[in-house]
Amino acid sequence: MRAPVESLDARRRARQRTAGAPTRRTAPVRALPLPPPLPPAPRTASATPGELFAEGLRELWRQVNPDVISTTSEEVAARLRRIPTQLNEYGNDPWGFDVDVMRRALVFTTLLYRKWFRVETHGIENVPDGRVLVIGNHAGQIALDAAMIGTATVLEREPPRILRAMGEYWLPTVPFVNLLMTRTGSVVGTPKNCIDLLNQEEAVMAFPEGIRGMNKLFSERYRLQRFGFGFMRLALATRTPIVPVAVVGSEEQAPAIANLKGLARLLGLPALPITLTFPLLGPLGLVPLPSKYRISFGKPLRFEGNPDDEDAVIEKKVMKVVDTIQGMLDRGLRERAGIFF
Amino acid sequence: MKKVLITGITSGLGQLVTRKLLRRQRGYQISGVDRTAWEGRPRGVSLTITDLRKRRFEDVIRRERPEVIIHIGSVRHFKGHPALRHEVNVGATKRLLDFSLSHGVKHVIIWSSSYVYGALPENPYYMDESFPLNSSRTYPEMRDLAEMDMLATAYLWRSPDITITVLRPVNVLGYHVHSAIGRYLRNGRVPTVMGFNPIMQFIHEDDVAEALVLAIECQTRGVFNLVGPGAVPLHVAIRETGSQKLPLPESLARPVINQLFRWGVYPFPPRAIDFAKYQCTLDGTRFREATGFTPRFSLAETFAAVRA
Repeated sequence: MRAPVESLDARRRARQRTAGAPTRRTAPVRALPLPPPLPPAPRTASATPGELFAEGLRELWRQVNPDVISTTSEEVAARLRRIPTQLNEYGNDPWGFDVDVMRRALVFTTLLYRKWFRVETHGIENVPDGRVLVIGNHAGQIALDAAMIGTATVLEREPPRILRAMGEYWLPTVPFVNLLMTRTGSVVGTPKNCIDLLNQEEAVMAFPEGIRGMNKLFSERYRLQRFGFGFMRLALATRTPIVPVAVVGSEEQAPAIANLKGLARLLGLPALPITLTFPLLGPLGLVPLPSKYRISFGKPLRFEGNPDDEDAVIEKKVMKVVDTIQGMLDRGLRERAGIFF
Repeated sequence: MKKVLITGITSGLGQLVTRKLLRRQRGYQISGVDRTAWEGRPRGVSLTITDLRKRRFEDVIRRERPEVIIHIGSVRHFKGHPALRHEVNVGATKRLLDFSLSHGVKHVIIWSSSYVYGALPENPYYMDESFPLNSSRTYPEMRDLAEMDMLATAYLWRSPDITITVLRPVNVLGYHVHSAIGRYLRNGRVPTVMGFNPIMQFIHEDDVAEALVLAIECQTRGVFNLVGPGAVPLHVAIRETGSQKLPLPESLARPVINQLFRWGVYPFPPRAIDFAKYQCTLDGTRFREATGFTPRFSLAETFAAVRA
């Protein structure tokens, strides 16, 4: 079977040699001039959120390539190694934290932190060593603000620290979500867990607004909802400084126009927000808008007193924390140049 | 010579405790009660074959006049009628405590379980002894164990002239002991709930026997969690004991396990699934401080004991 092919090929070459010139004559084609490069998309405040969203997606696609992921992974791993943990021989600490899962989760949140929300962090030096309660405002329908604060303390603080978030009681019942929560160092927010963690000199992050803050409507944005008192009693009982933290930008990531509380109760969910994109775009609607995050940590507040005081006494102390965070929020809102940049 | 009576002496744990007590410098005279014979038991150990629910059991206490009773004879499986568990675990324990009071027993050790706390989503990581016994909320088949535990605690406060120790051990693993968790992990293909992987604590059977001996020697009074070397996720435990996990979505796992349990093919009732979803981990500080107990076997050695 090989011989005829070879001979055919040889015959074709021989014919080309005898012709001495290309047999087909065509008019020379001039290359079309390249169009001038398009001017970069104007990044002005007049661009609609939709355009910016699309631009953000394109930017993320350009940025997220294996190279970025591997360098981020190395960087995150190097910082995680500097955090003292009590891991057993299977890589878990007594709270279910898993350093390997944490590293992978941090690669994702670091990309979100740098590329999507382009977080600006101020006052990270206010997070002290030893036991501390980080208390913040909660917003944005999904707890990405907690993830960004936790990523900030790993990436920006010297030395890095892991924040132990106090999760909703509902979270442990959700498949996979409970794993993500516990393996990255968070725990269900019972007083016992909080006391145990603080007594081991850990940094605990809590959002005393809870669901009230996270799933509030866009019209209520940056207005702190009612704070629970539990965190203050625990801070008094364990003599823990409180670091207030204000997140500006989280409200715009998923503006909610309604919260279907009745349907949520029927489905066993804590809330069912309707945002501009969810459930309109289905699962894609869960992607947050790329608002620019500004996180500021305030100076530690120290409180003295009896942890078993009446609510009225505790409330005064809680209000001091609320006023501090609200003041930081208001200043951040005044000073920011725009929502998306 | 201290006279010790062990109920359920023929069980794996009963045998381990017996041998451990006999090896101690300070002598123990050991008698046992069980429903089956113990062939080749050490010399000097007397065994009475009877049921804890029978009249003959009181006779044993009357005759032996023990100073210490270790009560580990309870029903932990679900093979029989639910009433059997209740009769033995609650009824017989009450009789045992009454006899102890009337026959001058000084110290009773009740073998409870960490399962009495129940596996609830809002469980803190380290539950101490004052935590409520919530097992009835999610796992009513285990209610009798919680009742037994609370019964013993009630006697503890009611009668100051008798020392009562209630031990609530975490998951016991080992070659000799037949524990629920050992049975579960030795399945080969271990059914788990998809998307859940709770932290679990384990303790080696030998450490458990050691803890029982320490409880006798230190005369500890009260309720104590008994915690081993540490905690790992369930999937790690399955891997380390040489089994493979079989993750099922919860909506499938519940009906399937319910049916298999009814046919007697699967040993655990469907509500036990909660223990494969939520953690039930304990704070063992109180027992450690009271007796100086430290587990000698690491987690790796504990898992290796099951593979053996």
